[in-house]
Amino acid sequence: MFRIIQKSLKTGIVTGNYPAPTKSERPVPDAVRKKASVFGRSLAIREVDTGSCNGCEMEMNALMNPVYDAERFGIHIAASPRHADALVVTGPVTVNMEKALKDVHAATPDPKLVIALGDCACDCGIFKGSYAVTGPVERHIPVDVKISGCPPRPSEILNALKKLQGRKP
Amino acid sequence: MDRDERIESVKKAFGAKILGADRVRGIPVVTAAKQDIPAIASHMHRASDLRGTLSLQWAVDLRPRLAAYRIYYLFTLSGGPWLMLQTELYGEDRLFPSITPRIHAAKWYEREIRDMFGLIAEGHPDLRRLVRHEHWPKGTHPLKKDFSWNHVMGRQDGEYHFRQIEGEGVFEVPVGPIHAGIIEPGHFRFSVAGEPIMQLEVRHFWKHRGVEKLFENLTWAEGVSLAEKVSGDTSFGHSLCYCQAAESLLGIEVPPRANYLRSLFLELERLHNHIGDVGAICNDAAYALALAHCGRMKERIMQINDSLTGSRFLRGLNRVGGLSIDLPSDQLDAAALALKKIEEDFTDLSKIIFNNASLTDRLETTGILKERTARDHGVMGVVGRASNIDRDVRRDHPFAAYDRLRFKVPIYRYGDVRARLRVRVDEVHESMDLIRQALENLPVGPITNAALPAPQPGDWALSAVEGWRGEILYFVMAGEEGKIHRCKVRDPSFVIWPAIQFAVLGNIIPDFPLINKSFNLSYAGTDL
Repeated sequence: MFRIIQKSLKTGIVTGNYPAPTKSERPVPDAVRKKASVFGRSLAIREVDTGSCNGCEMEMNALMNPVYDAERFGIHIAASPRHADALVVTGPVTVNMEKALKDVHAATPDPKLVIALGDCACDCGIFKGSYAVTGPVERHIPVDVKISGCPPRPSEILNALKKLQGRKP
Repeated sequence: MDRDERIESVKKAFGAKILGADRVRGIPVVTAAKQDIPAIASHMHRASDLRGTLSLQWAVDLRPRLAAYRIYYLFTLSGGPWLMLQTELYGEDRLFPSITPRIHAAKWYEREIRDMFGLIAEGHPDLRRLVRHEHWPKGTHPLKKDFSWNHVMGRQDGEYHFRQIEGEGVFEVPVGPIHAGIIEPGHFRFSVAGEPIMQLEVRHFWKHRGVEKLFENLTWAEGVSLAEKVSGDTSFGHSLCYCQAAESLLGIEVPPRANYLRSLFLELERLHNHIGDVGAICNDAAYALALAHCGRMKERIMQINDSLTGSRFLRGLNRVGGLSIDLPSDQLDAAALALKKIEEDFTDLSKIIFNNASLTDRLETTGILKERTARDHGVMGVVGRASNIDRDVRRDHPFAAYDRLRFKVPIYRYGDVRARLRVRVDEVHESMDLIRQALENLPVGPITNAALPAPQPGDWALSAVEGWRGEILYFVMAGEEGKIHRCKVRDPSFVIWPAIQFAVLGNIIPDFPLINKSFNLSYAGTDL
């Protein structure tokens, strides 16, 4: 026990120890901002991978670590689409995941937001045109926000989500 | 034993059935007619002087040069050397004899070959579709040369039949493809009676993106960025393996400084993944404290990656012939200092982790992968080393600067979650030491060899890299006009996924996430 407390004291507070993002996010359109306003200052996210390389998943996971701690902005990851306010979709939508994506979208209660995360989700990236890819995401479900990058840094994702919530960056 | 003696051993046993024996870039290759393949493969697998593990089986459509398919078998013999076997199917021939009844590790490879090329392994006990889900139309075999890379696929109705266990009180529990956490999609079908798992069937390939076909559109230099996206968490390992294969094929000598830096970056990738996994394994046993500490250490390493190279995933760094950027020594020294602090930090934490009795109770005897099962599947890497499989490409086939660096390969025998955790903890310390050694001995000089000669169409090369999960393999064959004819990618996950089906038996479903996390396999790298 003593060792654990000692470790925590020695470590101190690490939240916020990251370089500020250099990339400026696209402004959020008024219609989307209005749609997001019903969720107030909390946002439950369901993450759906439709064929990413798992880089975007790693950065989404990083968002929940003590350094970024997205929970302090009311952002948390829901275990089921039924509990979600927003879907974060990564990857170029493969032929095998197309149906699953539509099912998840249908299972998410309205009103809902869809965020396309990463270059693949935004425009299929390097996989554009492949026989196994039917994306991008917006071909199958309406997308409200796009966050580009391969993969986008956690600080950039966090900024984009905060902007969506109407918070200052 | 000399490598040629291995060929002699096969020749002695089979005489005139061996149609040819050759060495290609140092790898002995035996050619035989297709009907003799099962017997010869079985000999390579079982003969006491060879004891080969099937490491890879793959096909190549040789058109337009030759109207034939070639099937390759790669064996890793005891002690590490390679031995290859190949056969050809001419004209309209679509059948080849299956080796799965004799060599279990071929199970998924032969199903993959059937899906991607339409070549049928006769005698295979399970010819259900693997990569192609049931809605893919009949006759769509993407890696055939007459199938275009941007083919628009229709949909058909179809049903995948899971293996079923029937009986009183037996239930099926379907999980996935979309899971509760932030993880990749895959389907798991459990059969349970009460709590213990009687059977697990893994159904993957939801993320199949057509990576191998896309390679065939690219030139050698362009392939690097696709290799980085095979499995994002292993961006550097995959791009390194691809570059090595291309360099070996093109005959490019990589400058020593680039080799040392490549080893350094590969270890950095291993570090952040292993430290992240240690935290995540503990978290799946409800020990969130370790996750928090490991999460911040992993984040720190990724920030170091970013500050050194401009990419948290070490992307855009490798190029065919060397590296794209050089690093000044003051930056490297600063990174070494930061890593030293992280190592001390991690040592403190591992003491806390291994002193926790309730955590140990969850980890010990959970998800045991027996050595025999691991061998039958050809399992290697972190998972293999926890089940007493003493294989490490860095030692057995030294690449980059590993022939000039000293390190130990940690081996554990029990094959449970705790053993896999221990392998990772030990490897973190080995990686830290390797990075120190690489920095101490870092030579000065150029970091790239820019010339890209054109290879002869039909030439091929094979390369292996010990990524943080295990052995990554790339096979590349040159095509016309400086393009890639075929690029076979094998992430270690492809080999280890079938083995997890055995590791969970007798465990309870609530322990599955923990077991799965201790394997931590890539879905993207398997599905391609």
